[in-house]
Amino acid sequence: MSMQNNINKHKDIKTPYETARNCRHYAMCKIDFLGGGVCESGLEKHFVSYYPQGRMILYEALSENKISVTEKCVEIADSCNLCGKCDYQCYFLNEMRPTKVMEALKDHVETFIKNGGKVKPAKDDSLLTEIKQIVGENWATNDEAIAITYSHDLSPISEPKIPDYVVMPDTTEEIVSLVKLFNKNKTTYTIRGNGQNLLGFAVNEGAIIDLNRMKTIEFDEKNWLVKVGPGVTAFDLQKQAQKRGYRINAAEPAALLCANIMCSGIMSTFSTTYGINADNFINAEFVDHSGSLFNLNETSSPNLYSYKNLQHKDSPGICVSASIRLHPVTDDERGILVPFETLNNALDFIKDCSVRHIGLALGIVGAEYISTFLSPTKKMASEIKNIFVDKLNIPWLVVVIGDKYAIRSVSEMGFPFFDQNMFKSLYLGLPSLKTAQWLNLVKELSDDEPYSYLKVKSFAELFETALSPSPRLYSQEVDKELSPFFEKLFSRKEMTDLVWLNMYRIMSTRLGRKKPFLPALIYLPIDKDLITEFCDKFRLIAEKHHIDNDFGFITPIDNGKRCIFEYDFFYDYNDPEEIQRIRQVAMEANMLIDDYSVKTGTVKGHPYVLYQGFCRKENLLYS
Amino acid sequence: MPDKSKPIIALTGATGFLGSHLMASLLTKGYSIIVFGRSAKNESLKERISRLLLWFGIDSCLDQVTCIDSDLSQDNLGISNGEYSRLCSVVGSVIHCASDTSFSESKREKVMAANINNLKGILEFSKNAHVNFFHYISTAYVAGTGGTYCKEILSSAKSFTNVYEESKAAAENIISLFCQKNSINLSIIRPSIVYGDSQSGRSLKFNALYFPIRSAQSIRDIYLNDIYNNGGKKAAKNGIYIDKDGYLFLPLKIYLPGEGDLNIIPVDYFVNATIKIIENCSRGGIYHLTNNFPTTMKIVAKYYEQLMKVRGVEIIYGPQPDNLLRNPAEELFDRFIEPYRPYLSDIRVFDRTNTCLATDNLNPPGFTYEIFKTCMEYAIEVNWGASIFA
Repeated sequence: MSMQNNINKHKDIKTPYETARNCRHYAMCKIDFLGGGVCESGLEKHFVSYYPQGRMILYEALSENKISVTEKCVEIADSCNLCGKCDYQCYFLNEMRPTKVMEALKDHVETFIKNGGKVKPAKDDSLLTEIKQIVGENWATNDEAIAITYSHDLSPISEPKIPDYVVMPDTTEEIVSLVKLFNKNKTTYTIRGNGQNLLGFAVNEGAIIDLNRMKTIEFDEKNWLVKVGPGVTAFDLQKQAQKRGYRINAAEPAALLCANIMCSGIMSTFSTTYGINADNFINAEFVDHSGSLFNLNETSSPNLYSYKNLQHKDSPGICVSASIRLHPVTDDERGILVPFETLNNALDFIKDCSVRHIGLALGIVGAEYISTFLSPTKKMASEIKNIFVDKLNIPWLVVVIGDKYAIRSVSEMGFPFFDQNMFKSLYLGLPSLKTAQWLNLVKELSDDEPYSYLKVKSFAELFETALSPSPRLYSQEVDKELSPFFEKLFSRKEMTDLVWLNMYRIMSTRLGRKKPFLPALIYLPIDKDLITEFCDKFRLIAEKHHIDNDFGFITPIDNGKRCIFEYDFFYDYNDPEEIQRIRQVAMEANMLIDDYSVKTGTVKGHPYVLYQGFCRKENLLYS
Repeated sequence: MPDKSKPIIALTGATGFLGSHLMASLLTKGYSIIVFGRSAKNESLKERISRLLLWFGIDSCLDQVTCIDSDLSQDNLGISNGEYSRLCSVVGSVIHCASDTSFSESKREKVMAANINNLKGILEFSKNAHVNFFHYISTAYVAGTGGTYCKEILSSAKSFTNVYEESKAAAENIISLFCQKNSINLSIIRPSIVYGDSQSGRSLKFNALYFPIRSAQSIRDIYLNDIYNNGGKKAAKNGIYIDKDGYLFLPLKIYLPGEGDLNIIPVDYFVNATIKIIENCSRGGIYHLTNNFPTTMKIVAKYYEQLMKVRGVEIIYGPQPDNLLRNPAEELFDRFIEPYRPYLSDIRVFDRTNTCLATDNLNPPGFTYEIFKTCMEYAIEVNWGASIFA
């Protein structure tokens, strides 16, 4: 039976092939976000190819006969020790089990060799020799088994492209030499962090410069900054900062900070107080397109603090370090969830809080988001979403992170909320929620005054008694053989701590569990009518093209003068027809944002920020 | 079979608790009914009515019902002119049962709109149809909070327990003036708290009497689950345990303002008495469908304990002591019964002179344990209404 027939036979997501081609490419398997360890070969070899994500892409390509078994392919397959760590990580986020793909990859290579297959040797290449002279023998390759793993990013917009070379420099000096070499040879080069760009800018032909070896972290506590190399992830830096009693403003955990700032600027729920774009760093160093160095604190440097409302602006060069701002942390910080019946009420609340400087981090999420974040499986997320909306009458929630004074203020404003303890009960008691008869009574109490039950003294205790929350209960929902790990995992305090979860954002990737998503991100005033119009129009665009869609989140910024609004479109990237439709949706959504941008003068679409992430937020928001 | 000698009745609120029971009984007596109502949740009015008739076991009476999709807030009830005229020419009397029964002050606008503003359309229809009778289903509690002896006359009360009572009192006065001006006979029927059928226990609605029982049952189940499945630590912390007889001891002190009664009637009495009033009274009047032998919360608590195998419920009349320490069950239960508290120890006594005359001294039954058991067992069987039409 040919491989292609094999493919057609295995449409089931549980087959290795289907699992492989459903890899979300979020690079989460490269960070130890569950504390259970990371793929050892990845940590040693650094190329994404040696991480589960890379092996998934490689196995998919082998299954589709896109590449041959090469020397590196054999090495990649051999280097997997089938430890199973990736199963925990990937199941946690996407309910997938990559280990069977790893096994299938090993089988494939072994069978190929056993059957007398000829392993393809590395090609001789003079440019590669020169590159290796700069970065060392181990850190540059033109092996197609490695190249193929750099052909994807998260974007449905771009076609996959296989690079000619993948290079992993370790120092700024090496980058300078590489840029000069590529310029001399007229070789296109593209910088890659963890491949999380949404517009297809991390894939290309020519050379890919993967910055993942450059992981230096230097704290300068006297000056409240930490200087990081371009290979440092948000997760790893946050961890280091937290150990020293600080916090950084960080986006998705696997995002590399320098790349993140370069592409769009850092944004999170903490942007409410920590800001966006230039608010998040003190200085940054670059290698420009000619191979010269500059940093932002030199008068002769390009003015990256400015902002031009232009799409497709050129990259200013390669960001080789950034000095990230450190923020103080107090020991009374906690998180709460404030429920709302309407988006308008939630918008009023976040605006009021933001104007009054109440809370460190604020964000509105819908029932889809919250149920997806909290639930360990897709099935449960769908059930919990219905309970949130129909039984608890909670279509909207505002996450507030703040110190005791901020939380007290919310209480004094008269808003009932789920405090940290109730959140923990809710989270670890989710399975009980599915069958709770008493929820009907809670709904009737809400008919009288929304969420008044949350004001009942001792309700939290009864809530906990009713849900019987425990790591064991929660873990019963996952695959049986994984449940002991999950039980241990959810026994850890941070896994149910709203402050930690918002700092590290390990749950946000779960949003793509059902289907990958393409977000539309907008900066705009907290204007209820405007936001409602956007929601309605985005929904109509998506429905016209039969694309699943939902409200993402809203976070107020700059004292409530503006907010960041995300609306999400979901698509199947293995369905070529759906890819066409999502591209159409993306185009129409961007046109809509452009229209409003012209009409209002206050709306800015996220694509315009690409390569302008170093700008002052004032230039972005108000010019 | 329809009885052509009986007047055709236009009925509002036919999909509600009292309206549906009244409709079912009228149909079995041969009346033809025109139902003014609305479709809901992807279900047409006719489908809603069919579903109800099936539940009553009288789906064969569907041909006695004419369903008119209408909106009481609109001119001409939102019906086309031709249809409106045709209906005016056939309707003999109107029973106005539609009502918003919310007690919540936050819903004042909605309640007032439903119970007062929406009168205009149905009253105008009654006038245009030259109906012989307008029957208004009100509540005994239009009496307000002032007095103790409540006569079968229009209410002049100035203070009420909630917006529902206030709106119904105002509605009575508006309807009365209108009917007087337009020479329409008017009967105002004022039930107290209505529960399910005293014989079968069947009911379509499970609020009022049911709500405290349902709340207590839910709290009981939470602790039973804690004891049987989770080691019972939380229960023990609050002095909750299974006693030697296998009963759950769950301390639940319920404070009520003062000694008083709970005036409840079963829906079968409501229906029988209302039909007698409709059929017997020639000129109309005001009728209290109340119980001369009301029960008390102490009795209901005893019944609850017996049925649910629970001990520890204590009804205490008088103000709550300051800084009272309460367990979580008491805190939540207190919140659950808050809207109903004024009705749980009521000192009002209702005059029934007109009612006795019009109904040949038909009286509601006393609230026995058997009735309680029958009604609550049915409620539990249908999961407090959730599984009736599931």
